Amino acid sequence: MGNEGMREKLLKELSEGVVEYDEERVKKASNEVLDKGLNVYDAVMNGLAAGMEKVGALYDQQEYFVPELLMCADALYAGLDILKPHIRLEDLGDKPKGQVVIGTVQGDVHDIGKNIIKMMFEVAGFTVHDLGRDVPLEKFVEEQLRTDAEIVALSAMMTTTMMGMKKVVEMIKEKNPNVAIMLGGAPVTRDTAGLFGADGYAESAGNAVQEAIKMISRLREMQQK
Amino acid sequence: MAAMSLKERFWNRFTGKDTDMTPVGSTTTYGVMALMKKCGYERPAADTDPVAMTELALAGPAYAGFEWVKAMGWDITAISEVMGCTLGTPKIDLQYFIKAHPYAESIDGLSFPKDFAKRGRFPAYKEHFRLLKEKVGDKMVIFGESEGAFTCAANLVGTEQYMKWCMKEPQKVEKVLEVTKEAAIAAADFAFENGADYYVFAEPTSGPALLSPRIYKKFVLPVEQEIFKRIKGPGVLHVCANTDPIIELMCDTGAVGISIEEKADMKKAVELAHKKGVKVFGNVSTAVTLFQGTPEQAYEESRQALENGTDFLCPGCGIAPNSPLENLLQLKKARDDYFGA
Repeated sequence: MGNEGMREKLLKELSEGVVEYDEERVKKASNEVLDKGLNVYDAVMNGLAAGMEKVGALYDQQEYFVPELLMCADALYAGLDILKPHIRLEDLGDKPKGQVVIGTVQGDVHDIGKNIIKMMFEVAGFTVHDLGRDVPLEKFVEEQLRTDAEIVALSAMMTTTMMGMKKVVEMIKEKNPNVAIMLGGAPVTRDTAGLFGADGYAESAGNAVQEAIKMISRLREMQQK
Repeated sequence: MAAMSLKERFWNRFTGKDTDMTPVGSTTTYGVMALMKKCGYERPAADTDPVAMTELALAGPAYAGFEWVKAMGWDITAISEVMGCTLGTPKIDLQYFIKAHPYAESIDGLSFPKDFAKRGRFPAYKEHFRLLKEKVGDKMVIFGESEGAFTCAANLVGTEQYMKWCMKEPQKVEKVLEVTKEAAIAAADFAFENGADYYVFAEPTSGPALLSPRIYKKFVLPVEQEIFKRIKGPGVLHVCANTDPIIELMCDTGAVGISIEEKADMKKAVELAHKKGVKVFGNVSTAVTLFQGTPEQAYEESRQALENGTDFLCPGCGIAPNSPLENLLQLKKARDDYFGA
């Protein structure tokens, strides 16, 4: 099999392995990518990440739900663990890369949606600074300033904790109006996100995946201009 | 028809008899700060102290126009606490929440404690029920509420892990549910023995925001069916988010009523539920309308719920602590106007 044929075969294995949450299949294909000396970044983006985009679409169509997403995420990380250390700087070319600060706001310990969106940013090549859950509000501002991240993604699952997001948006915009802030979580609506002064919104864990993809595209467009 | 007593109105509707009008109230939590201010009893005392808990419960009917009373506090963590979950500290505007999952590493040693009702907040609930019954008498219906078996199971091992087990380790899912099912039955029977007229299981973790209908049918439905069959009084099932895909399954659990959010289609839910003899509670938006909306919006959404045929005009979920009282009052106002009361 020629190099291109091998590339196609392994990308398909990686992508399908993620969609069908088959960790072993993903691991095997990832190791083969290394053995054959193929472009590792290509394997991550057009294999693993492409699979995850399909997973996002399946979630949107209500074919997949959160348990499936979590299983797919495990398969994805199984591949990333093998491939990521081998990504060479020159493979990245002139692809725009960015940084994201992400976390669930103070008083809130729900982090499934946050972890899923974190993963989407990671596969898209962003550097993710995950502050975890129950994060003090000022920590988001500090981390954004420390890292100069382009995106801050906040999650809250309770009406009591969502008000904290408004404060974070205000604090960050005051220091740096160019940061894109996205909000997500059960009680948050697009209207609320707008009202709080945020730039992006995700309706639920699954929509967060889609919104993350959209925000990444928007940012890429912005950065390519 | 002559105006009915509040208890008769509720009970007639609940049992499928004629009523003068649709009952209005809340079948989910109403630990609202405006009600705390009115009655003078605040959280966190109202989370554990029987007197404060009782007074806040009575503030619902006294100040928000609710026609029945909630017992057993303002959160859905009581069973999980008894089973070993660590809880976060409640504040005036923050209910108890799950902080740590005791069986995240291993489910060996997980068992149903025989002295269940002597643990956690249940002794306080016992005294609270006594006080509540003393004050309410036969005037209003009282209901108890806690998390259901599936939500409790996810709390015990961690929701993320439990979701994955649903896909790859079904025997573990069932093993935990076997235990939490007994706990759920014990909690409901405790409430019935102490004066509850009906019991609500809140199952946020089993909803379509997380689980597929296929998994709901496989793991949740059989357990709920057994629970509703075995408990000593009538049960209501509350599930959050857009429950459209599982309305029929919810109705098949054996619950007398289902409680749904505004994200679900009330009209369709009523249609499906009534075919199976099940009542529907809901569905005024709590996170958006009651919390952040205007009184006009709350009124309009209440009217819409009545128009769509709700059997009990209620908030669609637990009412957010910071919701203005004026918004809550719109439920009764809309109901009274609708029926020309």
